[in-house]
Amino acid sequence: MHKRGASIAASLTAGILLLTACSGSGQDEGGEAVDETAEPVELTFQSLSDQPAAIEATESIVAAWNEANPDVQVEIVPAGWDGIYDKLITQFNGGAAPDIIHYEAASIVPFAVDGYLADLSEHMSEDFVADVPEGIMESVTVDGEVIAYPTELQSYMVFANKTLLDQAGVEIPSGETMTWEELREIALATTTGGTYGLGWGLKSPTAAFMTMAPAFGGTFFEGTGADAELTVGEGELAIPELVRAMSTEDSSILPVSLTQSGSEVLASFYAGAIAMTIQGSFQAANIAADAPEGFDWVVLPPLEGPDGAGQAANPQTLSVNIDSEHVEESAEFLNFFTQAENLAALNEADALIPASSSAQELMAKNLEGEPGWDVVLSSGQHMTDAPYLFVDAYAQWKDTVATPAFQRFLAGEIDADGLAEALQSGWDEITA
Amino acid sequence: MRVLVKPAQYLALAAYIVFLGFPLLWLVSASFKSSAELNSLTVNLIPQDWRWENFSEALERQGLVRSAANSIVVALVSTALVILIALPAAYALARFRGLLRTVGTGWILVSQVFPVILIILPLFLILRTIGLTDSLVGLTLVHATYTLPFALWMLQGYVTAIPTELEEAGAMDGAGRTRVLREIVFPLLMPGIVATAMFSFVSSWNEFFFALVLLQSPDNYTLPITLKMFIGGEGKVALGPLAAGSVLAAIPSIVFFSFMQKKLTGGLLSGAVKG
Amino acid sequence: MTATSLTRPASTGGGRGRRPGRSGARSMGGVGRAKRREAIALVVPSLLPVLLLSVAPLLVGVLLAFTDARLVRRPEYEVVGLENFQRLLDNGFFWDSFRIGMVWAVSVTVLQLLAGMGLALLLNADLRLQGLTRVLALIPWAMPPVVVAIMWRMIYSPNAGPLNAALGGLGLPDDINWLADFSTALPAVVVVGVWVGMPQTTVTLLAGLQQIPGELNEAASVDGANAWRRFTAVTLPSLRPIVTSITSLNFIWNFNSFSLVYVLTEGGPGGKTMLPMLFTYLEAFKNRNIGYAAAMGVVLVVVVVLLLSAYLWSQFRAEKER
Repeated sequence: MHKRGASIAASLTAGILLLTACSGSGQDEGGEAVDETAEPVELTFQSLSDQPAAIEATESIVAAWNEANPDVQVEIVPAGWDGIYDKLITQFNGGAAPDIIHYEAASIVPFAVDGYLADLSEHMSEDFVADVPEGIMESVTVDGEVIAYPTELQSYMVFANKTLLDQAGVEIPSGETMTWEELREIALATTTGGTYGLGWGLKSPTAAFMTMAPAFGGTFFEGTGADAELTVGEGELAIPELVRAMSTEDSSILPVSLTQSGSEVLASFYAGAIAMTIQGSFQAANIAADAPEGFDWVVLPPLEGPDGAGQAANPQTLSVNIDSEHVEESAEFLNFFTQAENLAALNEADALIPASSSAQELMAKNLEGEPGWDVVLSSGQHMTDAPYLFVDAYAQWKDTVATPAFQRFLAGEIDADGLAEALQSGWDEITA
Repeated sequence: MRVLVKPAQYLALAAYIVFLGFPLLWLVSASFKSSAELNSLTVNLIPQDWRWENFSEALERQGLVRSAANSIVVALVSTALVILIALPAAYALARFRGLLRTVGTGWILVSQVFPVILIILPLFLILRTIGLTDSLVGLTLVHATYTLPFALWMLQGYVTAIPTELEEAGAMDGAGRTRVLREIVFPLLMPGIVATAMFSFVSSWNEFFFALVLLQSPDNYTLPITLKMFIGGEGKVALGPLAAGSVLAAIPSIVFFSFMQKKLTGGLLSGAVKG
Repeated sequence: MTATSLTRPASTGGGRGRRPGRSGARSMGGVGRAKRREAIALVVPSLLPVLLLSVAPLLVGVLLAFTDARLVRRPEYEVVGLENFQRLLDNGFFWDSFRIGMVWAVSVTVLQLLAGMGLALLLNADLRLQGLTRVLALIPWAMPPVVVAIMWRMIYSPNAGPLNAALGGLGLPDDINWLADFSTALPAVVVVGVWVGMPQTTVTLLAGLQQIPGELNEAASVDGANAWRRFTAVTLPSLRPIVTSITSLNFIWNFNSFSLVYVLTEGGPGGKTMLPMLFTYLEAFKNRNIGYAAAMGVVLVVVVVLLLSAYLWSQFRAEKER
């Protein structure tokens, strides 16, 4: 985790290793078809990475490619996650979309359904396909077409302030997993005068609730495409209700955290105002960089419910614009980008889990003995299918219906029945 | 009773100064703070350690320089267009009576209540058809069009303030029409043109909505859009550089307005409705 | 704020309180056909961009409202008549947003007027610190709305935010996430709206105050009227036309506001600050239903025009009765 330098070194090494291989194949092709004097093909790659280390990792992978492939030059166009869905809509409609598009499976699907994304089935290297777990490959398959390379997986993890847990006499859980009940008990035990047991940045609650619902058997959706049906039952409501109970009955959740983003909650975590916080695994990198000196923190085991520790896998993706003049070259670049060495370096920089098994193994080997990483990587084993990925109207429902409804529930404006009703009627309105 | 009036007035004035000025002070203070300090629970007006690097980081990392250049180009060209187009029309509106004037004035007023949201949808489609979405040219034209009404209104006010007798006298001295305009009207209009140009520049520099919808490639973003993208979602927000970038983005507007502060005496707007 | 940042005037130098055009029109009276042709030739260049980029889009926008057009790869659309409007009647989200828009526009407009009136009176009184106050009063007007929003996000932040710190210092609750809490989000954005819009109201009212002949106030003083009495009997009636016009314009600008709240809250939390312009924007550029969004735009415009006419009519009647 403290090895930003190492990750760059790793990707550089990977780049150099691959340099020979790639330049070899490039020459082969060049000899046949490519005119020596021709202008190099230029590809634009819109990247959403916002972690400094991940930006550097992406840049060094691209630099390695550019050096090895003088006739296919890739230019990174940095963009942010904020508002990117709307932006992509105008980009595609205005004919200004980049060649290579970074996003996430759940939100890229509508663009595939609309026909904006190239079918990559013929271009994607067979090794990579074989290397990615079937469920994840399915998450980027729409109507039989593979529309993206899955790259990084996020899981939610519990970060704890070891000092506060020790002070409260709580034994740090060390099992394979820990149950939500245990989390609730620890939160209660660590809630004292000025400290709350848990802080959870639920400003945009939908992703967290959807991802973690499988532990309680919650799937939210059945069916795929335009025929998908929303179901909101006990499994779906379990975690929101647990949060409500912890906040109203136990008073063990810092109330303001429920209205903040994950990053904003970290300030309270550093200040010792909360003993634990649930965050995306990527925050490990931020905590390592920003925590005050002497701040003693640990990652607790993955959370488990009655149906296991499953979290829905919604991988980050790299897709190719169907209107790109260079779909083939773009796919070749992506084949390079997703090689195990590169994916491992990128995921290490982002503190995320690689989508391919070989990259996971490589990362585990590279990071053996580093604190916290074993938990991050082991949570990868609990990734399950995310039924919502295959729902056409998901992105729209998430932003216009689910997020406001969950927020109202957390703020105590509506009860669980009201929440279920709001989620359902909003869905009906959208799909009418 | 009478004695208390002055202190009460000063108290109220102080409250206004705090309300209006403190947020600015805070933004400037934040622009010098480290990310650790901004992401903590400690609250200081004076930064713990002064991080001038925020400014250099803002300029380096987030494409701010490029966006600022885009903003300047769009603002300058649209201002030039506005003045070129509005000047003759303003003269006509001010000097000729009749239907034209009524229609012109009416349109200027209506333009103040234009529902941009209704316009942006077809505008996007129209500009897309002629290849001017995601284009600074397209944005420049749009900014010019939407600044035009008010610029026209301002300019015709200045033209009206020039007595026609001066023009008539010039004409009697045998000067041709062009010469009268060039040598008598234009110099007198200069301050008005400068004021209108500044207004037009600042409007374009600050504009957000059209730029948000019409520009798509980060390379083409204007400054407000880049700053918005800077804010970010769930990930880590570089608050210090964000504040630094914001301070830089506000400077041109504030300079222009401070410059024009003295001129803000007449009530053009109220005049517009009264007349 | 978008529209307004483009349309709000910066300077008022040209008016000088005189009715424009009178003297010119009189002395150039009896213009011949040639003159008229010349006038038209001078105006045409400014008509072209306007026709192309604002009148045409407005008309197309109204037509769009009667179609089911979507922003998709293969745009196929049909004319669906009034279907969008019928759907809109049943769309609870839209009317919620409409209600929020009214609350926002009315409260910002009223507070702008009150705060602007107070400041204008202070600036018109014989006090020190005038220069500083004038500059401070203008800055909010000059700043890009995005920067204003970023700045206020920092003020309101529960992390290292000065507002909570000040409240904590006074022994009040200091853990409020102003822009994300259901009960405080709308008031919090209203305060920012007032901060942004106050300068223009102040400047306009100040100009009005300075046009009131000093003799009127002196005469009232001699008659023994106190300050409040002078304000209600002399100042307010003289300002009436200005107040009417600035209120109507402010109301429309505020109702059409977009950028400020878009950057402050994006309509959240839970839609509590979802102004109608944001709602329509999201319908168009998130849900991609541009036909439906255009129908929303049409409804918003019609309602605003009706409300405004009613207000102006009532003011007109009151004026006549006096």
